[in-house]
Amino acid sequence: MSTPMEERMDLIERIPDEPARPEEFILQELMTIAVAREVRNDDIVFAGTGLPMLGIMTAHLLNAPHALLIYESGVCDGKTMHIPMSVCDQRAAYMSSALGGLVDTFGYYLQQGFVTLGFLSGAAIDRYGGINVTAIGENYYAPVHRLPGAGGNPDVGTMARRTVYIIPQERRRFLDRNDYTTTPGWWCRDFDTGAWRPKREIWKGTPFAECGPAGVVTNMGVYRFDDDGIIYLDTHHPGVTLERIREQCGFDLNCARLAGETPHPTYRELFVLREFVDPELIFLPETRPYPPAIQALIDRP
Amino acid sequence: MRPMRGSAKKAEILTLEAAVKKYMHDGIVCAFSGFTAFNRNPVAFAWEAVRQGIRNLHVLDKHAGLCTWFLNTVGAIRIYETDWVGWGEMAGKLDLSVEKLYTSGKLILEEYSHGAMTMRFLAGAVGAPFIPYYAPLGSDLYNPAYDALGRAGLRNGSHPRIPSRKFIEMTDPFAGEGKVVLLPAANPELCILHVEKVGEKGTARWRGISTLDKEMAFASDRVVVIAEEIVPEARLREHPESNPIPYFVVDAIVEAPWGAFPSAVPYRYDYDAPFMRAMDRASRNEADLKDWMEEWVFGPRDWRALIDKLGEERLKGLRADPKTGYSTAVMRGKRPAPRMQAPLSVRRSGY
Repeated sequence: MSTPMEERMDLIERIPDEPARPEEFILQELMTIAVAREVRNDDIVFAGTGLPMLGIMTAHLLNAPHALLIYESGVCDGKTMHIPMSVCDQRAAYMSSALGGLVDTFGYYLQQGFVTLGFLSGAAIDRYGGINVTAIGENYYAPVHRLPGAGGNPDVGTMARRTVYIIPQERRRFLDRNDYTTTPGWWCRDFDTGAWRPKREIWKGTPFAECGPAGVVTNMGVYRFDDDGIIYLDTHHPGVTLERIREQCGFDLNCARLAGETPHPTYRELFVLREFVDPELIFLPETRPYPPAIQALIDRP
Repeated sequence: MRPMRGSAKKAEILTLEAAVKKYMHDGIVCAFSGFTAFNRNPVAFAWEAVRQGIRNLHVLDKHAGLCTWFLNTVGAIRIYETDWVGWGEMAGKLDLSVEKLYTSGKLILEEYSHGAMTMRFLAGAVGAPFIPYYAPLGSDLYNPAYDALGRAGLRNGSHPRIPSRKFIEMTDPFAGEGKVVLLPAANPELCILHVEKVGEKGTARWRGISTLDKEMAFASDRVVVIAEEIVPEARLREHPESNPIPYFVVDAIVEAPWGAFPSAVPYRYDYDAPFMRAMDRASRNEADLKDWMEEWVFGPRDWRALIDKLGEERLKGLRADPKTGYSTAVMRGKRPAPRMQAPLSVRRSGY
């Protein structure tokens, strides 16, 4: 016996994999799908709470069904039925391959070198992909704004082969240098000398010298990093101009390699995300109506 | 250096009030089980500690949760070594009491990464004085200027639980290349665990995510186990491979049903998201917070009275489904949870 939800699964292939129009999806959906497309089928993914979680769960139903997902609380390859609100929600652990604890995830999996893709959020980023989730303001001990702090962000961000961040873009969050670098990007401080040096040099001789930020998805565009470890704009989201993007960036942004508009989510991707990944509307604030032709396919299979 | 410790002893069974009175005291270095505000937080114990007016705590943690939320609300923590001071992802993330205490200089916050705190407890658990770990080299977490305990003058050897250094960065002395960070072991004086079942001698078991509880228990001088249920030892010994905690490290056990509320005890009950959202709302205003604490902390006669106050209907909605370990009756988002028999990704592509 299948539940109504399970019967709807059979519809996925019948929903066209064609780009939706901008008025048919919300920003969170665009960002989640952009993140989902970063996952490869042979990736071992270490994901944080929120949109990173939605992204990997969408990828599991579409482009990367066999990507292995790790949550820091100890979950290895959970087969989730209901979206977890946190990485230590028991929902995350359902039918997992192994269920351990933090020593398993940070030691046996991450420091052992198994993780190929980190999926994280950040509060502020510098041009080299360094992340601040700790404190805003010049004085660490008397911050203008205190944030929750590191969590596993700096562990995953430095030891996963590549890391993709989701960050809200504002001028005060896209900076030449962070006030505080929680997770170093491609350039970081050498505290022996105080100088900034490439991560590859600081981490030379460790297994993780080549690990670091690979992409950033914001509310305005998708960014990648060049060979010098400097961020550049890859695609801009629909309706977002380069002027607005530059306005909301605190340094001279490289837009010379712009590849065009961020590909829109397809109707099939939206269908999967809305109906199967977050049907309880926990992380998605709302959903827009499907166009009539798509709704007809859903109503009358 | 830690002394040799322990004997083949049987844990004592205490009431919640007696366990707090006997094992907690002002200034103690302690650690709480679970993970953020979602999973097996020993809430009843921290709640009772707040009621008994315990102060000046030094908490070693791998993040914040409900216990630290309650304790910070009354400013009971003086030193906090952790990696994250949020308390529940759905409730606004930052523990606002931490921010208030921290920015006014009443709380010393020493920060590490989650992996680093994990390694510190692992070292503590296996009796090692320190442990090497790579991450996160180049982070301000290892900026010598950001050593909060050093800045407070507390790394001078006067406090036996505060290491003389926050960390030591060095070149791998065996391979001769590559930097690595040496981290001091974390060794609390007291660990409080919330588990599903404990045998009457002290053998303890939980189901679901393990977090860092076994490491924290072994790293600590004393362990108090709060359990949903005390059961005959024999029942747990039929499947000893499922028991992470052998009795000999446990000093005291307390039976406190719903003692982790509003966090979850997998296979018993789910977390209560609306309750935590109400806590977070109250914490945004001093008068609201005072009222909330009066109603939910200082008001009830005991923990049992607090649970009774929640009402049978609410508790029924939180009871876990025996197959999945959680409840699908709770309204967590804007729509109810869909009914499902198998994970959709498995139905679609197998394991």
